Amino acid sequence: MPKKLQTQSSIALSQSTNDMKGAGVKILRKKYRDPQHLHPVVNTIISVLLGILAIMCIFPFFYVIIISFTSEESIVRNGFQLFPKDWSIDAYHYLWGMKAQFFRSYGVTIFITIVGTIISVFMITFYAYAISRPQFKYRRFFTFLAFFTMLFSGGLVPTYIVVTQFLGLKNTIWALILPLAMNAFYIIIMRTFFLKSVSESILESARIDGASEWRIFFQIIFPLSLPGIATIALFSTLGYWNDWFTALLYIDEPNLVPLQSLLMKIEANLEFMRQNMDVAIMQSSLFDTIPQESAKMAMVVIATLPIAVSYPFFQKYFISGLTIGGVKE
Amino acid sequence: MKKRLMLLLVLVLTIGTILSACSGKENASSEKEGKDGQPYEIKWYTIGTPQKDTAKVFEEVNKYLKEEINATVKMTQIDWGDWAQKSQVMINSGEPFDIIFTNGTDYVQNSQKGAFLAIDELLNKEGKDLKEAIDPALLEGIKIDGKVYGVPTNKEAARQTVYTFNKGLVDKYNFDISKVQRLEDLEPMLKVIKENEPSITPMATFKAYLPYDYVFNNEMPFAFPIDGDREHVINQFESDLAMQTYKTMHNYYKAGYLKEDAATSKDSWPMDVENWFVRMGDSQPYADSLWSRAAKYDVVSVPAEEPTTFNDSVSGSIQAISATSKNPEKAMEFLNLLNTDPYLRNLVDKGIEGVHYEKNEDGTIKDLPARIERYNLPTYSLGNHFILNLYENDPKDKWEKFKEFNESAKPAPTLGFHFNSDPVRSELASITNISKEFYPALATGSVDPEEYLPKYNKKLEEAGIEKVLKEIQKQFDEWKSKQK
Repeated sequence: MPKKLQTQSSIALSQSTNDMKGAGVKILRKKYRDPQHLHPVVNTIISVLLGILAIMCIFPFFYVIIISFTSEESIVRNGFQLFPKDWSIDAYHYLWGMKAQFFRSYGVTIFITIVGTIISVFMITFYAYAISRPQFKYRRFFTFLAFFTMLFSGGLVPTYIVVTQFLGLKNTIWALILPLAMNAFYIIIMRTFFLKSVSESILESARIDGASEWRIFFQIIFPLSLPGIATIALFSTLGYWNDWFTALLYIDEPNLVPLQSLLMKIEANLEFMRQNMDVAIMQSSLFDTIPQESAKMAMVVIATLPIAVSYPFFQKYFISGLTIGGVKE
Repeated sequence: MKKRLMLLLVLVLTIGTILSACSGKENASSEKEGKDGQPYEIKWYTIGTPQKDTAKVFEEVNKYLKEEINATVKMTQIDWGDWAQKSQVMINSGEPFDIIFTNGTDYVQNSQKGAFLAIDELLNKEGKDLKEAIDPALLEGIKIDGKVYGVPTNKEAARQTVYTFNKGLVDKYNFDISKVQRLEDLEPMLKVIKENEPSITPMATFKAYLPYDYVFNNEMPFAFPIDGDREHVINQFESDLAMQTYKTMHNYYKAGYLKEDAATSKDSWPMDVENWFVRMGDSQPYADSLWSRAAKYDVVSVPAEEPTTFNDSVSGSIQAISATSKNPEKAMEFLNLLNTDPYLRNLVDKGIEGVHYEKNEDGTIKDLPARIERYNLPTYSLGNHFILNLYENDPKDKWEKFKEFNESAKPAPTLGFHFNSDPVRSELASITNISKEFYPALATGSVDPEEYLPKYNKKLEEAGIEKVLKEIQKQFDEWKSKQK
């Protein structure tokens, strides 16, 4: 195979040199300038490498889908297989059986993702905008305040005390939204973005035209900073969608459990069963309701699909947004 | 556009504030109620997957409790897998609650830390009936520095490790399993199975058993011999028995009786898949029939040791009263009733008669579908087993057999001794790491003990095992002298 590739590419090489001879120096120069133009061998190598990388990224998910369609019996006997002996859709049947909890959790996740992202974007942009404007007298102090929490955090127990005893959020939907709404790192990213992308003179002209601060923010800053805002919105969406830990800490009510937390619970319960076989066997009827490997994978498929499907729509913002944090003036 | 956005934002934030304020008030008012003659609400956290009918059942429970002890109970279940982390955060944050399920080392550590209330006095007053109902060995076994920090569940107090066989295969090849006592005795059977049953793994992955009383657990090198010198702690990995057992295990491994990934595998070998011949487990009376029912084919067990009462077998399930409880007396009154009143105990465990279970004429019960689907509670974590109704397919003398089993057990050397590991914390940390590295490989026979056991012991020595052994011996002697 590699030999064949080599001969092919060498043919291509000789052809291109022939072309160049015919077409003259002009084309050569043009091609030289073209950053996309690579030596065919290099091109092949890079393509293959990137291809392997892409397969490495996609393969686990592909595997998960296959396992979700494998029969449980086959998993226990033969382990995970790429081409299982018995196919089955039992796992999806099982999920359909717990559809009440499942749809409820889906609803909770969608709700906290949408509401959470909105709240989070506003809180972060408000804060970041304020500390990005030189007119704001205490901006150094508030920048430091945000920055400080990136270096030192209160830790798990104090956070828990604040949320449950001081704010009384335990077993409310806000316990899933508010603890994740503010993020110091995103504030710093947005501050840099505002400083870089919005020049003072635009704001000045708006002020001269008599715009209020609110109007400036919503009609000038907001549209101008859309790529940056879309980036942190995407980050928080992912954060809310994938969050299970806050639910573990603050939620006891089954009807407030988000999807990822449901998934983690199942995983953790399986782990508990493995470590406590004596309890598991004595209380076997209890654990009959805990899904096995294939059902777990089916849940992963269903929980991941929406975010995987919506990702391409965000992608263009995402890429432009990623370069923001790195540049400093 | 701008106005709408603003409105939305303001709305969302105000709702948030109002909601949080509301729930804050609720807490405050319920505390007060307890004090002026109103029923006190007991907050009870226990393990298990939250059930759909909990509220319905506890309405009944509360009706009864209001009459009996002027209190109500709010039971919250925390899912199996979440339990360890969540209960720890709750305890560390000093959250106010009354009763919490606990077991094993969690119980010891939290008691030593002062998170649980010492209940000796409460047991003499509010918990008088309970104290009589519970096996004294249990109460004695969970004492820490002479004090009881929780109400143990009255069930099997002893542990007996057994070898369990797949009965279909035993009958097929006519094996005589009654003579099996040690690991070596399995050899001829394993060989036959390996040669004739290609779809069966002869040994479901287990760690070879060494008959000692462990200060921490079976992978840490601190143990008291159960037979012989019961007064001195040793490193069990230096004993001849360990070498011999692990050699046998290594031979089995080389012969292919175990899966190749035995040392690292997390496979739980579910009973209902018939792909094994012998396995190891902890037994209790009538365990075989229980297991056979779960597996849907017959299994049969032979004991690998005499029933013995260990620290971890008595602390398998404990209800502790939190140090943050506002009304420990009421909590104890409730626990007292839960462990002595058959009506309440069965109601909490099995649900409402006619809804979740049916009673037959002879007093035995039968689960209705609602119990499995909507109120499936773990029996072991709730309270006294001996006042529970029997199922129709349970043997009539089930609880008598349990009592016999408990009485036949002899106490382990360290029963009631709980080591305080503070003075040797750093040594223990490195010993734990070393053990995690060596123990699984050795105990599953994956490596040659001739080479690795000495290596293991040498590393343990370097990590300061001598100091820890001395400290354990010192604390043990102090504890022992107080006993007399």
